[in-house]
Order: sequence, then structure tokens, then C-alpha cells
Amino acid sequence: MSKLSDINVEAGIADAGPPQQGGSLSVGQWLRTNLFSNWFNSILTLLGVFAALLMLRGVLNFTFSENREWDAVRTNLRALMTLSYPESQYVRVWVAVGFLMALAGMSAGVWENWGGVSVKRMSTWLMGSGGFFALCVLLREPSVIIDSEGKVLRTVEGTLQRESFWAAMTDRLGWWIAVVVLIAMGAAIWAWCSEPDRRNNSVAVTTVVFSGLGLLVLSLWLVPYGHYAFADGTYIAVPGRTVAFSTKMPWTVMWLLLFGLYFVGRSFRDTQWQGIVRGSSNLLWLISPMALFWVVLRDPALDYAHVLSTDLPMGLAFGVLGGVLLWVLTRADAGEAGRLTAVGLLGFAAFNWVAAFFGLYPMLQKARISFLLVALAALVAPNFIGEVAKRRQLIVGWLSAMALVHYMATMMNTPSTVELQSSEFLGGLGLTLFVAVIVVLLSFPLGVLLALGRTSKFPIFRMLSTSYIEIIRGVPLISVLIFFSVMVPLFLPDGMELAELAAVLTGYTLFSAAYLAENVRGGLQSVTKGQYEAADAIGLTAVQRTGFIVLPQGLRVSIPQLVGQVIATFKETSLLAIIGLFDFLRVANSVIPAQSEFMGVKREGILLVAMIYFFFNFTISKYSQRLELRVGLGER
Amino acid sequence: MSTDDATTVANDRLVDREDMIVCVDVDKWYGDFQALNGVTATIKEGEVAVVCGPSGSGKSTWIRCINRLEVHQAGDIFVDGIELSNDLRNIEKIRSEVGMVFQQFNLFPHLTVLDNITLAPIWVRKKPRAEAETAARALLDRVGIPEQAEKFPGQLSGGQQQRVAIARSLAMEPRVMLFDEPTSALDPEMIKEVLDVMKELARSGITMMVVTHEMGFAREVADRIIFMEGGEIVEVGTPEHFFTNPTEDRTKLFMSQIL
Repeated sequence: MSKLSDINVEAGIADAGPPQQGGSLSVGQWLRTNLFSNWFNSILTLLGVFAALLMLRGVLNFTFSENREWDAVRTNLRALMTLSYPESQYVRVWVAVGFLMALAGMSAGVWENWGGVSVKRMSTWLMGSGGFFALCVLLREPSVIIDSEGKVLRTVEGTLQRESFWAAMTDRLGWWIAVVVLIAMGAAIWAWCSEPDRRNNSVAVTTVVFSGLGLLVLSLWLVPYGHYAFADGTYIAVPGRTVAFSTKMPWTVMWLLLFGLYFVGRSFRDTQWQGIVRGSSNLLWLISPMALFWVVLRDPALDYAHVLSTDLPMGLAFGVLGGVLLWVLTRADAGEAGRLTAVGLLGFAAFNWVAAFFGLYPMLQKARISFLLVALAALVAPNFIGEVAKRRQLIVGWLSAMALVHYMATMMNTPSTVELQSSEFLGGLGLTLFVAVIVVLLSFPLGVLLALGRTSKFPIFRMLSTSYIEIIRGVPLISVLIFFSVMVPLFLPDGMELAELAAVLTGYTLFSAAYLAENVRGGLQSVTKGQYEAADAIGLTAVQRTGFIVLPQGLRVSIPQLVGQVIATFKETSLLAIIGLFDFLRVANSVIPAQSEFMGVKREGILLVAMIYFFFNFTISKYSQRLELRVGLGER
Repeated sequence: MSTDDATTVANDRLVDREDMIVCVDVDKWYGDFQALNGVTATIKEGEVAVVCGPSGSGKSTWIRCINRLEVHQAGDIFVDGIELSNDLRNIEKIRSEVGMVFQQFNLFPHLTVLDNITLAPIWVRKKPRAEAETAARALLDRVGIPEQAEKFPGQLSGGQQQRVAIARSLAMEPRVMLFDEPTSALDPEMIKEVLDVMKELARSGITMMVVTHEMGFAREVADRIIFMEGGEIVEVGTPEHFFTNPTEDRTKLFMSQIL
């Protein structure tokens, strides 16, 4: 007891200044408080370190084993990205990637102030990676001995004969030099910035990222990675030179686009154009996946006679007549007649879809979609009653929506000019990313609608949404995909066709929407009753209340679950292999091992695929953390 | 019911004013529990009526029935001559004429103070944004916090939030303001700033119906006090009547407990 009081007294005396910050512990103190605070924790620490070292050793020995054929991967990099997209039209792929790069640079510039990385932190990264390399060099088992004829030596029992540990270490002299250089650089920078006036020096994140990527691209021109490829079916393997011009040149352009457009975007930040540039870059993100896939990559061969006789007049008719209708419906005196018109149109649009399934009422698909859009626009029209400027917004929005829908529909209906080598012209990572992005984009609005339906006051909406969600959630994704690729074409009326990819996208979107709806519902339920009451009390309509009050708050709460859903959707695209599409994983798992040059070589490709999946998902996850901070989750 | 009939007018200045809120035999049940029992009262235009009573007496339920946050099951409610029924158009009309201030403020946490105030004028009243913002800043000035326009509600104190909530209701230029225990969730030192705003409002001539336990406020600005218990109106009268010689025993008991 007396001891305790002593401590209290001491603590009281020592309490003159604020307590030391946690970050200023010395290494020894940190180790003691966090890893070796008592004998049990010390044992756990030692066991954990031992297990980690074993795993690292396993990965190293697997990756750098003499049995690995990494040639299979470097030769097939293009196949992993786009499968058999024809060489002669490959510039289309580069245009698509280049567009995305430019857009990414632009958005990064105009949206975010990316902040900086402290120089001190970078010096610890350098030293840390030096230490990690040293660990790797030590852990990797010694190489096998190869005799002068290039044969691998084996012992009498048939196991591989390996060098001694010391011989292996001297063989890896190059690596040791790298380790020393890294640690020395890190230590030098550390020492440099330990002076008080340099302690807070930092480098912009963008500088770090752009120069890192720049070094990578530069290395394509300087480092002899070797030229490995399948060109028109023949296997090329030329070690000792840099990669092909057709690879390094496009990537250099990609880097320049990213870098250059970043500065363009940044020059708009905090100017009067900022809002417009932000809005249009967001819009381009929404449109570009479809436009790049169906227009740029697919290269439709337009039949101009048909375009002039049917497509263009139809688009114009919907645009102009719909525009006139919306202009009338937003007049101040529209009132009840406006609502009735909207409901009537919605009924007509629904009838078109139902009739189509019984083959009663033939009509171009485009027209059905357009009628539905007219009806939806008429429903939201009352919100735009008021000044001329507001009404004009609705009309401009309508005209651009019509232009886009009719353009895309025409393009999608036109046959492709790409010389197909399988049923779909794209495979590999390209297909995986495309499907994931489209499914996420389409299932998001659908999922939100389903969630709203399930929380609605109207029993019929609630019943329909609930049964839809429960039915879809009760069925595995594979069976949904098989259903849409095999069975749905049988149900369609004569003359209505669904391409394999379209069927899969539809099925996957419907599946994903059900899960998304449940995540959104969780967020919606966190919006308190008081918010609904306040919205009602100031006179908002139900649609306005949902759009301005309930959804923004509900979605903000569901960000973590929604990101989880996006990641799951991206990874589960690998199930597309089951219905015959060549997704990223399938290329590594079945296409490469079937090549005569790399018969049965599977593991290398799969390891690379896993790493790339991880890279994408980790990036998404990190970005969502940033997003959560920015929308102020948790400070309600 | 005694002394004053609920429909009589307490203050001479209100004698020939229009009826603003008329309730006739309003009943409401929650399941088997009757929350309102034959509530009959008339509030004149420009009148400040304070509703008080022990908790569970139905005063909040009643005030929430007046802009249809709760649905009454029997009887009639008229606001400015419009009958409150299931007709959506009537509900919309009434809600745009009746402002409401809640115990828990219920500001929209994801919008700035300015956006909280301008949302309804822009989207319900169809005002141009610039005009709505000018009006909103004037209102913030009136409730005494012009410098908080760009902040989010979470950054304000309770008293400031409640004043923003009052400004948000006033932005719709309502003819009636309903206050549902506006100071009950506030720390004592913040109650005064909200009451001051409400007093200023009362003097401006807007019709007000206030559910509150702040008897000082009632004494100072109320034209009439309505005392409720068990879902019924027990006694109605001027503040002097209540503070000097209430007639009903239940009123006497209540006044002795809270004063």
C-alpha cells in the first residue's frame, strides 16, 4: 500500500509538463512495451516471428526455384491482359488505356489535394526495404549446382545438389550491394533531416507516384528485360535486349498522358471552371467503360443508310418530342395534369416491356428504353418547375441523355469489325475489369432502388423487393450466370437476341444488386426518424426527402459495406470462366498451360494473377478509407 | 373544462382575428392507449399559445397532429381553413404554411447550416438559389448567428443548432410555428439564447403554439396557456389566471410542482 502511494506522489511531482507523445519512444522501449512486456508475450512474439520467416522462406524458394518457368508469364503478358485481341488493331487497346490514363490524371489533379510524404518516413522505407532484401537474400536456399555442360547435379539419392551457404552468399554479391546502397541512402537521408529545421520536410505524394511510375517506364528503355512474345503464333525469345518498341512506346505515352493531364486538371482547381471540370470528369468516368468497350475496342462497322433512315430520326424524335413534353410539364401551372401524364407514360412504358415478352407488340429495344426514360423524366419534372434556367437544365439533361442512349444503342447493335478468334473479342484482365466495372455501375442504382423499395411504406413495393432480394440471395452466383447464359435465350421471344456477354452482365448485375440492396438498407435504417420528420415538416416531397436527406446519409454509413461488395464483385468475375468466357484467371489457369511451349505451366501465372488482384483490391480498400475520412464518417 | 372555454379569446387584441388552428373533438389512439381524448381548441391568428402539462399528457402528440407527423383518428383539424385529411395536396399545403421546431433539433447533419436553411425554399417554394441564400443569411442574422453559415450542424452548440432549426422553419415563411419542447434537450446556459429568439418571434406577430415547461417564458409572452393531462385539455386561461388562481385541482398540483 505504501508503495502505491509513493508512486502516486512521484507521478504528481512529475506531472509538471504534458505527457510524452507515444511516437517518441526509443526502439528498445517500443520493443519492450509492445512485444516483450511479459514472458507470455515474448513467447508469442518469438513464435510469430519464426512463423513469418518460415512463410517468407517458402514464398522465396517457390518464386526463385529452378523449376519456375517465368518465361511463360513474360511471353504471355499480352494474353493475360487482352487474350487474343488482334495485333493489327491493338492500337485500339492503347487508345482505350490512354483515355483512362488521361482521365485518371485529370481527376487526380482537379479533385484532390494529395498531401505529402515526410522525407523522414521515406528514409525509413528505404532502410526498411534494405533490411527486407537482406533478409530475403539470407533466407533463400542456396542455388543448385550446374556443371559445365549445363546439367543440374544430383546426389546419389537423386535430390538436387546445392552450393554451400557461403558460396551462395558470395554469388549474391549484387544483391548485397543493393542492400547496402538502400540502407546507406536511407541512413543518409535520416541523418540529413534530423536537423530541427528539416524535420518536417516532405515531398508531394504525386511527385513520389509520378517519379516512381516514370522510373518504371524509363527502365523499359534501359534495362534488358528481354523480348519475349507470341507474334502471330510464333514464339519469340530474345534475352539481353530491352522490351519491344510496341510495348515501351505506348507505355511512355501512357505515362506522359497521366502526368500531363494531372497538371491540366490541377490548373483548373480553385478556378471558376473547377465545378465544370469535376462534373464532366465524373460523367466521363460513368460513360467511358461502355464507350471504350463498345465503340473503341469493338469498332462497329456502321451502316450509314440505316443510321440515316432509322437511328438518327428516331433519336431526334425522342429528343425533340420528349423535350417539348418536359418543357410543358415544368410550367408552373402543370399541376395535376403533369402527374397524370407521367403516371400514364410509366404505365405505357411498362406495358411495352411486358408486351415484348409475349411477342405482341414489336418495337425496337431502343424505343422501349426511350419510352421508359421519357416516363421517368416526366416523373421528376415537377422538381424542376420554376425559373427558366432550372427548366432548361432538365431539357439539356434530357437531350444529352437521349443522344447518349441512342448513340450507344446504335453502336452496340452494329456488328464488330475486329477479327474474332473466339466468341468474345476481349479476354484476360481487360474482360475482368470491364465486367466488374459495368456490374458495379449498373447494380448500384438498381440496388439503391431495391433498398428503397424494401423500406417503403407501400406493401406492394416492399413485397416485390423483399422477395426479389431473398430469391436472388438464396441462389449461388454460378447458377444465376448459367441461367442467364443458357436458359434465358430460350425464353426470349422470336427476334430478340441476347449476346453471351450481355446475358452475363444482366445476370451478374441482377445478382449483385440484391446484395448491394441489403448493404444500402443497413445504411438507410441508420437514418433517424427525426430526419424524416424534419424533412416532412419543411414540406419536402417523398422523392425530395429520399434524394436530399435519407440517401446521402444512408449511403455515407454504408460505404464500408459497399466497398466490400465492390471488391467481392471484382473477384467473383473469375466465375465467368464457368460459362465459357476467358477471364483473367482462366487465361493463367487454362490458356497458358495449353500452349505447346509452356505445357502444364500454371503456378507462375496464377501467382501473378493473385498479385494483380491484390493490387487492385488493396488500392480500392485504401481509397475507401480516404473517402470515409473525407465524407466525415463517424462525426454525426 | 372550466373558466375559459377553449374557444374563447384571452387577449383583447385577438378578438376579431381569423381562426388559424381549429381542433374539434380530436381523438388519437396508440393501440389501446388513448393519447388524445376529445381535444377541442381554437388558436387565433397571431396568438401565442403555450401548451403545458405533465409528461405523457398528450401535448406533443397533439402538436404533432397539427402538421400530420401523427395521424389523428377522429375529429377535425383545420389549419388556416384547410382541413387536414388524407388528401396529400392538403397536407403539402399545410406543411408549407406550418413550421416546426423539434426537441432534438433534427438538423440535416450532412448539409451546411446555409444548405439546411435554403433546401426547402429552393425545392418547395422554387425560389432562385441566390435569393434563398440572401434570405437565409438575413434569418441567421435574426437568430444571432450570422457567422456560422458555412459550418456543419455537428460543429455548433445545442443552442446554436436550435436557433438554426428555427431559422430553417422561418425560411419557408410560415404563418404558424409549432415548437415541440424546444429547450428540453439543451444545457441550462443555452436555454436563454433560444428563448430570446422565441420571444422576439412572438412579438413579431406570428401564430405560435409552444409545448414547453418554461413557465417564465409562458408568463412573459403567452396569450393563453393550455393545460393538458391524460390526453384531455383540463384548463385554459391567461398566464395571470394560471399563476394566481388556477381553478382545477390538477392544475394547482402541476403548478405547485414546477414552480
